[in-house]
Amino acid sequence: MLRVLDHLEEWLIGFLMASATVVIFIAVVHRYAAGVSFLYPFVRHIHMAWAQELCIYMFVWMAKFGAAYGVRTGIHVGVDVLINRLNDRWRDKFIVFGLLAGALFTGVIGTLGASFVWDISQTDTVSADMEVPMWLVYLAIPAGSYLMCFRFLQVAWHFVRTGELPHHDHGHVAGLESQAGPDLDEIEADGAGAQEGKR
Amino acid sequence: MNAAIIFGLLLALMLTGMPISISLGLTVLTFLFAMTTVPVEAVALKLFTGIEHFEIMAIPFFILAGNFLTHGGVARRMIDFATAMVGHWHGGLGLAGVMACALFAAVSGSSPATVVAIGSILLPAMIKQGFPRQFGAGVIATSGALGILIPPSIVMVMYSVSTNTSVGELFMAGVVPGLMLATMLGITTWYRAWRGGYPRMPRADLATRLRTFVDSVWGLLLIVVVIGGIYSGMFTPTEAAAMSAVYAFVVSVFIYRDMPLKQVGQVLLSSANMSAMLLYIITNAVLFSFLLTSENIPHAISEWIIDKELGVVAFLLVVNLLLLAAGNFMEPSSIVLIMAPILFPVAVKLGIDPIHFGVLIVVNMEVGMCHPPVGLNLYVASGITKMGITELTVAVMPWLLTMLVFLGLVTYIPEISLWFPAAIGAR
Repeated sequence: MLRVLDHLEEWLIGFLMASATVVIFIAVVHRYAAGVSFLYPFVRHIHMAWAQELCIYMFVWMAKFGAAYGVRTGIHVGVDVLINRLNDRWRDKFIVFGLLAGALFTGVIGTLGASFVWDISQTDTVSADMEVPMWLVYLAIPAGSYLMCFRFLQVAWHFVRTGELPHHDHGHVAGLESQAGPDLDEIEADGAGAQEGKR
Repeated sequence: MNAAIIFGLLLALMLTGMPISISLGLTVLTFLFAMTTVPVEAVALKLFTGIEHFEIMAIPFFILAGNFLTHGGVARRMIDFATAMVGHWHGGLGLAGVMACALFAAVSGSSPATVVAIGSILLPAMIKQGFPRQFGAGVIATSGALGILIPPSIVMVMYSVSTNTSVGELFMAGVVPGLMLATMLGITTWYRAWRGGYPRMPRADLATRLRTFVDSVWGLLLIVVVIGGIYSGMFTPTEAAAMSAVYAFVVSVFIYRDMPLKQVGQVLLSSANMSAMLLYIITNAVLFSFLLTSENIPHAISEWIIDKELGVVAFLLVVNLLLLAAGNFMEPSSIVLIMAPILFPVAVKLGIDPIHFGVLIVVNMEVGMCHPPVGLNLYVASGITKMGITELTVAVMPWLLTMLVFLGLVTYIPEISLWFPAAIGAR
């Protein structure tokens, strides 16, 4: 069950990222195609005014759910200079405090967002270009925030039980490992050896 | 008084180590709830409208493009080209590293990404050639910082969003300082290598140079797409970012074929992860600056500073010190989003050019990325070279000092930033 949620989340944000890119790409191509005389008859019926709006909404959804995914991958960094100097017991307490604070904040925002979405769903507000109901667009706030709240609690629970935190490694490049090849220590040793060999 | 409470609360929450975005948001919620009559519901709406700007969407696109370029073999070809061009001078691969970083910076908007892209290929090669590890790590960690100065730049987008400055103008303003800093870092590298007698590459003949150039031309063309596209008005910066993401995808998967199609999903996911994190900080920072504005704090601070009659010179010095200090605790995006709305009104009142001020902030952020405790470039370099942070701190010193000299120049000679945009008529 949880794994299905994980995959759904990953699939959703990856998909939104890709489609937003494609939408803007097509909109730009369309704009210039309309300027070319022999293409004009083909493209003049297509209107791309909604592209920007769609892109923004897609990215807002991507941002809300991606932020929840980010809790799981540990990408939300804080100022840990001070707490890293504390002894382990206090440090652990602060980490749990931070995670619970995250859960509190996202929980409150989710609730505020939900009541906001409820209010707006009672009206007929639609978006400017695509004319989709606004409550559907704003649904990203409660849905994303509640999911994020859940992720914070999940990470906190996992940390209390096992003492492990998800950690995002900025230096990690998938696929480059194979090119970087052997450990640098070995290369250094090899290099030194080669130089001695020359002498 | 309110200002003291707000900043005190923010600082206290931050120091507990919780994510910066959360501490910004909680500060706002707590303050609004406890001290004001502003309806808390307004917060939820702000969380949405905060990122409802098309300009901000350049950030995810540039991150995506950068990830494709890193994984797609563009960095490797740029390194080959740079090595063929400057590898035979003193400094050899190190100098090539500076040039490759500058080239890659012109297609990528992030510093750590530049360090990863260039460093993970070049550092092993340098050590193999007999360069001391410290030298290689120092060159790459500092040159990688060019990523946010040479356009495109994610930090510049952040600045322009929080101060309503034109992204296009900022990008153009970054070109000359970027090239200048690259040259200065190059000279430092050259000098240190000359003194240390480090290995040089054999001089590449014209055929090699031409071949490596043609090889890397697909990556280099991206510079034309982004900078040329924005400058000529063909694209808005966001559109240029989207175009470069599509372009980088095509180059990596279909032209260079360094990236298998099945890896694309992974790249999309990790880009979305990084973008969502930044967008989440932005939304909460927008919330925070909404609070500051509704409490009239930026205005009060600027009145206070102007009352002190600091003058431009002293004010810029204070700004530099403040930003360098902040660089010890936070990463660039958060600093820009929190500090820019406060400092910007003062700068404008003192008659400092918004574009010049933006470049100055970006250079400060570059310095912050290269020194501990939170310099992300250092952590990335340490991940690649397996060197400790303390050791790396010593290693980057010569280049870091060069950057500080450069910071002084950029701060007090506005023409460095403003000359180029004016010359091409961008403003």
